[in-house]
Amino acid sequence: MPLETDLEPSREHPHVPGPSLWPAGFAVGVVALLVGIVVNWVIVGIGAVIAAAFGFLWARDVARGRGLADAPEVEPERRDGRGAPKTHEAPRTTYGRSAFLEIGTLGIGGLIGGLVTLPALGFMLMPAFLKQKSGAHDLGPLTDYPEGEFVVATFMTNPAQGEVSRRTAFVRNNGVVNNVPSFTIISNHCAHLGCPVQPLTAVPPQHKLYRDVTLIPLPTPPSGFSCPCHGGAYDTEGNRTGGPPVRALDRYLFSIRNEHLFLEAPYSVSHVDGVGASARIHKYTFSFPGEHLDGPESWLYPIQPPH
Amino acid sequence: MAEDRLAQRERVFQQYKRDVKERGKPFYPYAMFHDTLMSFVVAVVIIGLAVIWKWTTPGHHTGFNLFGTTDHPDQAGWLGKLYDEPADPGTISFVPRPDWYFYFLFYLLRIFKWPDSVILGTVGIPTIALVLLIALPFIDLRSERRPLHRPVAMVAGILAILSMGILTYKGATAQESLPTENLTRVPGWAQKEGFTANKQAVAGAKLFAVVGCLNCHTYLGTGNHNLGAPDLSAEGAKRKGVAFQIAHLKCPSCVTKGSPMPSFANEGAENLNALAAFVEASQGPK
Amino acid sequence: MAAPSSRYERILYPVDWLEERSGLVGGVKYFLFRKVPGDTNWFQTLGSATLTAFLIQAVTGVILAMYYKPDPQNAYPSIVHITNDLWAGWLVRGMHRWGASVFIILMFLHMGRVFLFGAYKYPRELNWIIGVLLLALGLAEGFTGYLLPWDQTSYWATTVGININGSAPFLGPFLAQFLQGGTFINADTLSRFYAIHMLLLPGAIFALIGLHLYLVIRLGVTSPPWSKHPAGSGPVTPPAVPPRTGLTEPTPRGGSVRG
Repeated sequence: MPLETDLEPSREHPHVPGPSLWPAGFAVGVVALLVGIVVNWVIVGIGAVIAAAFGFLWARDVARGRGLADAPEVEPERRDGRGAPKTHEAPRTTYGRSAFLEIGTLGIGGLIGGLVTLPALGFMLMPAFLKQKSGAHDLGPLTDYPEGEFVVATFMTNPAQGEVSRRTAFVRNNGVVNNVPSFTIISNHCAHLGCPVQPLTAVPPQHKLYRDVTLIPLPTPPSGFSCPCHGGAYDTEGNRTGGPPVRALDRYLFSIRNEHLFLEAPYSVSHVDGVGASARIHKYTFSFPGEHLDGPESWLYPIQPPH
Repeated sequence: MAEDRLAQRERVFQQYKRDVKERGKPFYPYAMFHDTLMSFVVAVVIIGLAVIWKWTTPGHHTGFNLFGTTDHPDQAGWLGKLYDEPADPGTISFVPRPDWYFYFLFYLLRIFKWPDSVILGTVGIPTIALVLLIALPFIDLRSERRPLHRPVAMVAGILAILSMGILTYKGATAQESLPTENLTRVPGWAQKEGFTANKQAVAGAKLFAVVGCLNCHTYLGTGNHNLGAPDLSAEGAKRKGVAFQIAHLKCPSCVTKGSPMPSFANEGAENLNALAAFVEASQGPK
Repeated sequence: MAAPSSRYERILYPVDWLEERSGLVGGVKYFLFRKVPGDTNWFQTLGSATLTAFLIQAVTGVILAMYYKPDPQNAYPSIVHITNDLWAGWLVRGMHRWGASVFIILMFLHMGRVFLFGAYKYPRELNWIIGVLLLALGLAEGFTGYLLPWDQTSYWATTVGININGSAPFLGPFLAQFLQGGTFINADTLSRFYAIHMLLLPGAIFALIGLHLYLVIRLGVTSPPWSKHPAGSGPVTPPAVPPRTGLTEPTPRGGSVRG
């Protein structure tokens, strides 16, 4: 609402400019002129023409004190229906329209929310679950793994990521059975809550290096493995012998290529019957620590996330 | 009845608002002064702890200026180390612990040792505790606020505080019999038992510390005592002889019927001799 | 709005300008000068003390964030750099680390005080629930922040914490893998925990603190339950006869001198 103190064109103030669009056109012309100085002389010319034309029209309006301030006289409506014809229809119910607007607002709002959030959500969640390719890891020549001895091997699962991908495995060469080499390769993450498990033997400080793999041969075989966090205890096959671990230690698949030992993917183990090369390993998909693999509690974890 | 109760507590609240209007004091400056003073104390305590943490860590502090390189950040001052060694995901000698305010949860995990009960300690009890806390205003529907007239609430509160305090303390003092920790104790054992001069016994002591004996046995206050295995601090005083000890280590169930102790035959002759010498030399603290 | 006349009005003109356009000054005045029960206790300062501790954490956290580098290669060296080389770096880092412990202790003490005073009962139930949520979020802040120095304690305490989440039934493994950003802790874990610690949790905590304070102002602070005349017990009528202590003469109304 304009205030009383604002001026309107009227008989007392005929020179106050009325509402008009000529100044806008003039502004466009000036802008085109300035832009053209930077970009192209043709645009300068066009801008000058526009500015001149609209400027002339604006100036003419101001000088005349007229222009769009002159509104056509309208005869007032009269109660008896004579006079100016009705220029609008009778009001009718707008119920249908407001409901449409409501649904439209909510719907489009939901659409916007979905369009923006879903890709972002997917970005947040999916990379953790899509197949994390980890290739085979070269742990060195077979001669580094004397038969019957444990070797603590520390390697990087993803050298591109660097030290953060370092893992440790306890590797024991079980010899050759039916012309097939047998290795027991146990992960050092406790099956209770993932703490680093310690071998129960004296660990010598000497170690060998094969590329980025550190090998520590254990002169005396450990009598088992023990976890420093909550007291979990395992035997040399990785079976749980005491404490809260819910299953045996995880193991790694392996392959032998060119007389080198290669580690493949890890898998989880519920328990191991037997020892060494003749052991029967009850294998399961690789699971997080703390998850039961067999027994009634395994129904608590029906679906494994893709690893 | 319910209608009356709801209406009555609404009335009490309205009376509260009227009482505060009549006899209350403006927040500023009366209550705000106390708040500000307490906040000042908090700020001073935090700054003081930070200063103590840094300045009691052994190292080279150059005078009073605010520079000051700590030469030995790996040595703990009054408030612990400034930082540990860098993260090593492949370690086999580190003992993980959470921050102190999680010790009560940490110790809860150690209490639930049976694999079938683990989920109680990890998610069961903490979730139930959180649900009870959130549901408290709906469990306690009485409008009584005076502590002496709310026995159930007071007892529950005291029990909660005491149990969290005890769990936190036990978590702080929890110890495993780990090779890395036990090895540091061997010189003390040799001194207490008096076999420092006996090289074979000392070697045996070092083996004893790392091959897992202390997961079942106790020795001079260290080790696990709730698995039924005997304390070995004075085993040598029974004078059973080295030969007996070696035979026992090779096949414990042959010597003692029904013994759950595993065989240590794969240690090899030299190590078995050392272990036997150690056991026989352990004749009780001098 | 009349033009300012006196010198006082001229000085306060900016305040009036702001008040007319926003109402904020009135809000602050209402907060400062509202009435609270006259018998409030020192224990009832624990709430604002907790807020102070959190604000200290926020400020020191923002400053640390200017020098901390959230990737596995550089996190530990940046912490060493902050602690040893930067001017007062050890002070800011120490305040943040010990401020976390103080914040958590104060939250528990405040919760205990509210429990003792029965201040979780009608009409303050919603405020209690918000407070419990704040406690859980504060503990989560401590957990996520613990990983950031990337030293041995950080790495392994976080491994255990994530696997505890993983042992929850049904969705546990998915939650653990989401938190870790993979099947083992990797570089994504650190940046994820940093984002949660710096952005997600502080945002939620600030929002809930705002709600918490709004409810405290709206519903009022309780008197200590053992107070003689707690607010809510009705008007206090002064006794008709002043209580006799035996130390003063009775008021001259014709009564005898006793004692």
